[in-house]
Amino acid sequence: MPQFRKFVLILAALFFVPWFIMIVQVLRAEKLTPEAYDKDRDGLDGFFPGDVVYRQGQLIYQQEGCVQCHTQMIRPSFAGIGDGWKKGWGSDQSAIPHDVIRPNVMLDYLREPVAPLGIMRIGPDLANFGYRAPDLNTLYLELYAPRALHPWSVMPSYRNLFVLKAIEGAGSSDAIKFPEGSGPGKDKEVVPTEEARQLVKYLISLRKDAPLPGHVPESAKK
Amino acid sequence: MDPTDTSTSTTDSLRRAAIDRSVRAPVLFFFANAAMWLLAATVMGLVASIKLFAPAFLDHGWLWFLNYGRLQPAHLNAFIYGWAMQAGLGASIWLMARRCGVILEKGAGTLIVACVFWNIGITLGELGILLGGGSPPFEWLFNGGTSYQWLEYPSLVWPVLLLAFILVAWKLYGMFANARKEAVFMITPWYILGACLWFPWIYITVNLFLNHYAHYTPLGAMGAAVNAWYVSGLIFLFFVPVGLGACYYFIPKITGQPVASYQLAQVGFWTLAALGGWTGYQKYMGGPLPSWMPALGGAVLILMLAPAGIVGLNHHLTTRGRHGMIQTSPTLRFIFVGSFSYVLMSGFAAVLGTFWGGALVQFTMAEYGFHLMALYAFFSMTMFGCIYYIVPRLTGCEWLSVRLIRNHFWFSVYGIAALVICMTIGGLAQGWSMNDPSNWDRNFSGVVEVSHGYLVGRTVAWAFILWSNTWFFIHLLFMVAGLGRRGVEPTLLVHDSHHDYVPGTLTSVTTTAQ
Repeated sequence: MPQFRKFVLILAALFFVPWFIMIVQVLRAEKLTPEAYDKDRDGLDGFFPGDVVYRQGQLIYQQEGCVQCHTQMIRPSFAGIGDGWKKGWGSDQSAIPHDVIRPNVMLDYLREPVAPLGIMRIGPDLANFGYRAPDLNTLYLELYAPRALHPWSVMPSYRNLFVLKAIEGAGSSDAIKFPEGSGPGKDKEVVPTEEARQLVKYLISLRKDAPLPGHVPESAKK
Repeated sequence: MDPTDTSTSTTDSLRRAAIDRSVRAPVLFFFANAAMWLLAATVMGLVASIKLFAPAFLDHGWLWFLNYGRLQPAHLNAFIYGWAMQAGLGASIWLMARRCGVILEKGAGTLIVACVFWNIGITLGELGILLGGGSPPFEWLFNGGTSYQWLEYPSLVWPVLLLAFILVAWKLYGMFANARKEAVFMITPWYILGACLWFPWIYITVNLFLNHYAHYTPLGAMGAAVNAWYVSGLIFLFFVPVGLGACYYFIPKITGQPVASYQLAQVGFWTLAALGGWTGYQKYMGGPLPSWMPALGGAVLILMLAPAGIVGLNHHLTTRGRHGMIQTSPTLRFIFVGSFSYVLMSGFAAVLGTFWGGALVQFTMAEYGFHLMALYAFFSMTMFGCIYYIVPRLTGCEWLSVRLIRNHFWFSVYGIAALVICMTIGGLAQGWSMNDPSNWDRNFSGVVEVSHGYLVGRTVAWAFILWSNTWFFIHLLFMVAGLGRRGVEPTLLVHDSHHDYVPGTLTSVTTTAQ
């Protein structure tokens, strides 16, 4: 069957090129290393990126399918498209931030096995959630009863990450404190499980707005 | 049996009947399982759609596994691997055997075993997405979903699916290698063989990278690019070739006219083969990738208009003068919609590949609309057409009811059209709202509110599709069980004059004198 073999070989050769280029990109991406700040130029010490996301919690994030609605990718602000959400989406938490939020670069996701860049953006972007994360109790409350604080929210309730139980004695110290008029009832309390703790620890660790070496804005220099 | 085959000799008819008999069991098995998963995927799609605008729907503590984050991937994966790929494989087996003129001497059992394992894999995967993870009492049984788009099944599933696929692909290659020499023009087998080569290739690469390699050597943002490459590859290197292979078989077969241009068909095939592997990265345009990658992916999507135009032109020329048959033949009617949707879908993809189009609707529901356009409007409609042609030839009985076929067709067409239109316009609205600087000092509620109406539309669309596919499933089960109509005349969609609906039954009765 020389004809048949030729057909398969040409097919394979045609596909081999884009496949090989993709493989090369992957192998180059894994060679990335943190970049050092130059004290004279950047006015900062240490390395970029600094912190790593909390991996154990990222597994919960993936298992619950958060990427279906939340992206982790700040886009550049050229051509009228971008993610310039003033309050909250960057490290500058003032009402009118001094600098435009920095779009994400590849190094931001260093040491994450597969960056959860996201499928759709039904809820807000979480790339820099760590900067705007509320206190622990509010965060647990948002996961357990999303509409207790934001009635317009369409986020599901992650009750499977919490335990609803009867109050014993003085009650658990880490039970969610509900606002007036909501909550599980008088003699019951809601306690986060280990998974909820890990997820929250991960969400707080999401900070991808550190200044880039060589592009440190004046306001960030020490 | 086939009204257009009056000129062929009895020997040929006998041989065709022998071929049909030899692949009967595996093809029907694939189709029946596929239709079941289609139904499951449609129900999940409906519930997931409702939850997007009414989060209180089915929101009880013990139904935590129906959260959108689990239900949406379960819905799409059941649709893709359960229905679409399985129907595609079933149709491929029959098309390959018929087109190559090969009687499947032995190996029907192997194909059935492959199908069984394919379904075991999907069942495990679905349970993993829905129930997996640390929530008792299932945490010892399943890993959770991976959240890699279209690869959400836990990592234990992919080798099962891969092996089952390779078994089928191996048999298909064997048929092609033993093809009878007089079968000269082989565009349908070409497309199917291409899909059989490309799918395992991308599937094994991407799964090894994302599910295994990445845990030892983090891939970071490039992992997301690999995932996007897979999604696009699955569309353009599996669904497009299998769907087009079926179109190239059935359009000439039913219109009774040869393919208009063999040269065009070949050019269309080879341009798809050359371009299909480059796309996907445009999903993360403006993202943390080397910027040439999304640019290249988008540019190739625009170039893909070439094969789409070529194939569309060829099919148009083949059908020319015989458009009347779209009225009567259920197969041609479904395949006409499918092949037309392929051209529309390529246009949509090209818009997503441009910067102004892609960045505007990036991360909006428009992408879901595009996926459903490829998976349902193009591929599923084509597969329905195949099933309406193939199944009567395997079971020896004809479809019971014109009414049910027509019901299936129109509700599917209206449903998918509504879905794609809602998701496209909704995606634009969402994109405009998200990118509008005057919204940037507010919270995200505006974007949520602006999508509300379109999500209601998406739900209505899925309800239509559910209605149509419920009847399709029942109709197909009757056929597989051998309870179809006994008669020589195929069930054609002629006007209702001689069809009387019998109250209280599912069917209408054909009272034509044979």
